[in-house]
Amino acid sequence: MKSLERIQATLNFEHADRLPVIAQVFGHTAVIAGKTIRDYVTSGSELADCQMRALARYGYDAVFAVMDVNIETEAMGSRLVYRSHDYPYVLEHVFSKATNLDAFSIPDPHSAGRMPQILEALRIMRRETGGEVLVVGCVMGPMTLATQLAGIEEALYLAIDDPAGFERLLDFSTRVAIGFGAAQVEAGAHAALVFDPSASMAVIPAPFFREFELPRLNKIFKAFQAAGVSAGWLHIAGPLGPVLALCGQTGADIFNFDYCVDPNDVLAHAGDRLCFNGNIKSLDFETAQPEDIFKESVRLRELFSSRGGFILSSGCEIPPGSKPENIAALVSAAGLGTGIAGRDRHSNPGQRQDGSRQD
Amino acid sequence: MRTLIEALLEGDQARCITEATRLRKAGAGVAQIVVDGIGKAMEQLDGKCTIDQFNLLEIMLVGRAVMGVIKELFPKGEPGMPIRGTVIVCSLEGDVHDLGKNILKMVLTAKGYRVIDCGKDCPLDKLIETAERQRADAVCVSGLITTVIPQVRRVRELAAERGLGQMRILAGGAALKQATAEGLKVDFVADTAFDGVRYLESAGLGTGTACQD
Repeated sequence: MKSLERIQATLNFEHADRLPVIAQVFGHTAVIAGKTIRDYVTSGSELADCQMRALARYGYDAVFAVMDVNIETEAMGSRLVYRSHDYPYVLEHVFSKATNLDAFSIPDPHSAGRMPQILEALRIMRRETGGEVLVVGCVMGPMTLATQLAGIEEALYLAIDDPAGFERLLDFSTRVAIGFGAAQVEAGAHAALVFDPSASMAVIPAPFFREFELPRLNKIFKAFQAAGVSAGWLHIAGPLGPVLALCGQTGADIFNFDYCVDPNDVLAHAGDRLCFNGNIKSLDFETAQPEDIFKESVRLRELFSSRGGFILSSGCEIPPGSKPENIAALVSAAGLGTGIAGRDRHSNPGQRQDGSRQD
Repeated sequence: MRTLIEALLEGDQARCITEATRLRKAGAGVAQIVVDGIGKAMEQLDGKCTIDQFNLLEIMLVGRAVMGVIKELFPKGEPGMPIRGTVIVCSLEGDVHDLGKNILKMVLTAKGYRVIDCGKDCPLDKLIETAERQRADAVCVSGLITTVIPQVRRVRELAAERGLGQMRILAGGAALKQATAEGLKVDFVADTAFDGVRYLESAGLGTGTACQD
């Protein structure tokens, strides 16, 4: 099986020749290519080159057109500081309470900031992988983009002091995500990752997620489906708590869970129609030994073996300074055995917890 | 005092300030308001913040209300409340995230600690110099990104070089709490701001001095 076939089989809960494995590596690909992170985050062709080299080195099942979390906010006018060996950060947020959102227009992915570089990276990687490997694009989710536009404290206080204004900001962020995501699908992304760590239960309570976040995630994933995406992928780093039971209602096809979420809770509460990926602790890729990563990978593999619908992965980004041998151990654990069980994903409709998505 | 506690837990800053002002006019001392009002509210918030229920938004709202009352009680800035110890807080160089640090600062202030904020993107030299100058009892380093870990590991060594070997060193934040205290060469890795404060209290940090009412 080619990587893309393996991922598609897993998404459909069908038999795959081995457990799919995706290392969430971004800046790390630049480090092992001997390039600066600044090079990686400012050039689509450099990003594609680094990602393709890492793919060749490790042999996992996906490549990412992911630079950093500031693409959209920069495209809107936030000022960033770029660093040679670390990701850029926001120096000045474009949005404040006094800002009139009507004065903003949705950024054009073909011309705004570094968005065209992401599209370029997708086109290159889609061409160079020959349609055999999952090519992943990425947008910020509504909560995260709102906090990236306004700053997290400003955005959260706005939610309380001016709920209507906050909802307008979330709606605007949703439209940005849809526009940018659709352009990425058009440029070659098979999967669109919606990264939304600010929607974690470490930041907002579950009722807030249900009321403000869930309907907007629905809207985004429906729009991505209409744009022709093969898989919508939701990534909320950090704890999930009661939101775990809602993840099946988001419209995503793949749901990432972080190291602090118990995989047994995922199995018990997250429904049987979603494909999951996770959840080895990110920092372990820097500090642990390969045998530790391997052992944890095998544990996850065994835990999800009868369910299927699982992609072995880290819980969040694998840090740039991670040990290559640890990533190799992750990939190696996925290759154990001869295959992974598949089943008809529609075989147990009575056990569905979401009931929201039409396949 | 119950009304103040309720208003604090609701995060209603305006009502908190009104109530604190009313209490002062009724004869309550600032120490009483801090200990029996703010302190009690923080205890209740701590109790609510379990692993499953912790959320930043609620803490931020309470924090904003607490800081409003503190500002009202101590308009000149330096609190005359019982000092339980001096704590330096910062995010280290390269890390520009400061929300976690700000939350910790609020909780420590509300609990009666003297807090020196070295800000975000703080060089190690500045942190150690400030700790020495302020005779700090503890430093708390918050980190959202793993790239600051090598700096965290150097804090103890640099502190010892300045004769600050007894100073407690705490770490917290999304990246740092993935590590162990041993791995970071610190005394304690806090899961939350309250967790960190509980550690300081259990370590007997600060004995308190008379309140200048």
